[in-house]
Amino acid sequence: MSYTITCPICGKRDLYEFRFGNEERGPYPNQKGLTPRAYSEAVQMHEAVGGIQKEWWYHRDGCGVWFTTWRDTLTGREVLQPEETS
Amino acid sequence: MGSKRLWKKTRLKKSYDAVMIGGGIHGLAAAYFLARDHGITNVAVIERRYIGFGGSGRNTAIVRANQRTQGNVRLYDEGLKLWATLIRELDFNMMFYNCGNLNTLHSEAAMGAARLAVCTAQLSGVRSELLDRKQCKELIPALNIEDNITYPILGGMYHPPGGIVRHDAVAWALAKGASRYGVHIHQNTEVTNINVEKGKVTGIITNKGTLKSPRVLICAGGYGALLAQMAGIKLPIHPLTIQAMVTQPLKPILNHVISSGAYHVYANQTLKGEIATGAHMDPWPNYTTNTTPYYMKHQAEALTELLPCLKGVKFMRHWAGIADMTPDMAPILHGNDPIEGLYLDVGWGYFGFKSGPITGKYMAEYMAKARRPQILKPFSLRRFEQFRHTGETAGAFSYGPWN
Repeated sequence: MSYTITCPICGKRDLYEFRFGNEERGPYPNQKGLTPRAYSEAVQMHEAVGGIQKEWWYHRDGCGVWFTTWRDTLTGREVLQPEETS
Repeated sequence: MGSKRLWKKTRLKKSYDAVMIGGGIHGLAAAYFLARDHGITNVAVIERRYIGFGGSGRNTAIVRANQRTQGNVRLYDEGLKLWATLIRELDFNMMFYNCGNLNTLHSEAAMGAARLAVCTAQLSGVRSELLDRKQCKELIPALNIEDNITYPILGGMYHPPGGIVRHDAVAWALAKGASRYGVHIHQNTEVTNINVEKGKVTGIITNKGTLKSPRVLICAGGYGALLAQMAGIKLPIHPLTIQAMVTQPLKPILNHVISSGAYHVYANQTLKGEIATGAHMDPWPNYTTNTTPYYMKHQAEALTELLPCLKGVKFMRHWAGIADMTPDMAPILHGNDPIEGLYLDVGWGYFGFKSGPITGKYMAEYMAKARRPQILKPFSLRRFEQFRHTGETAGAFSYGPWN
């Protein structure tokens, strides 16, 4: 079975139509008093979750929308938002 | 001799002087050198599956020392010279075949980047040269140097001392060598936590019991970030699935390793005659080793443009491994910071095989003396927060007709 991601506009499409836009990491840090270390933490360090995480995706070969979805990095599959499954 | 075990079966002890998490080439080499050079023999290598199950047995077995930056070249060059020594010392045929690597270049931008890489190599005393496209064809007569393909070849970077080594043999030989010095190899043993007390590592918890150890090395390849999380360390690593495949065996047609950054393909003909070829990574994080038809199609297209005689040849096997990618495509070789006794040998991306034994040698020195060897200086974890990246991403593979 091929891998898919659900675009909010185009629906379920092949994963290779999309570009990965990193794990969701909250708002960009406040520039005021930002140390190199805190900046590095915000832009370079990853949670690298082994399991379900919220991610940004871009429908590059489709409608061009940016959106978030949930995916399990241990299976490579898109999953429902955890709150909805419990 | 034939049926003798290469390494001894041992019982899990309660306490070791050093524990390596990950029974791949890096962990086995670190254990071997710790015992051989530093007299620390009460060592355990903990492996979740079986030795060589991960990246050590999933790579395309290519070795070379023509990286972009001098800090990297120094380490890889010493690593390249170590194969012959290890083969003798461990009395194990690792089938080192130094057939040379040809990196084809498909744009002026890539030619420029390769020129700099060649300078770096030559300054470091490593053989590497720039070729024009006719010289590429002389090296590999099957190569297509016409203008009728997506990215016509402009030239190449040729690195004669590189080649291929049989990766399984490396894992087995190092396990044999380490075991001879008394190192314990525990397969089917999963690490579930790393114990830290007052800023010092005290041991690990596994599914088979708790072990005490003042030194713990994380050398688990693609799973390194998950293990670092157990000790509360966040890393700039994306675990990306990378796929490779082999064709049916053919008569000899390719007597060098060939790679192309623009086509995202690298290939060599194994001694059995198969064309073993690796692809680019899936650019999203996964801890899976699943394969996809996307890359089979991609490899077939790229290979048949570069080597048209491969048209109609069938792929026989297809597999995947995990590459732990850092932002600057250089590894993280770090220790005693922020946790005393905890060492990191992670972030190798897709360069973990060629660097295995030499890194093990220096990580062993690091762990024995608790002081970073000079050669590992460029690979501190702290370089990221200081924004002192190694510059490795400026290699020819980053430049193509799109620049």
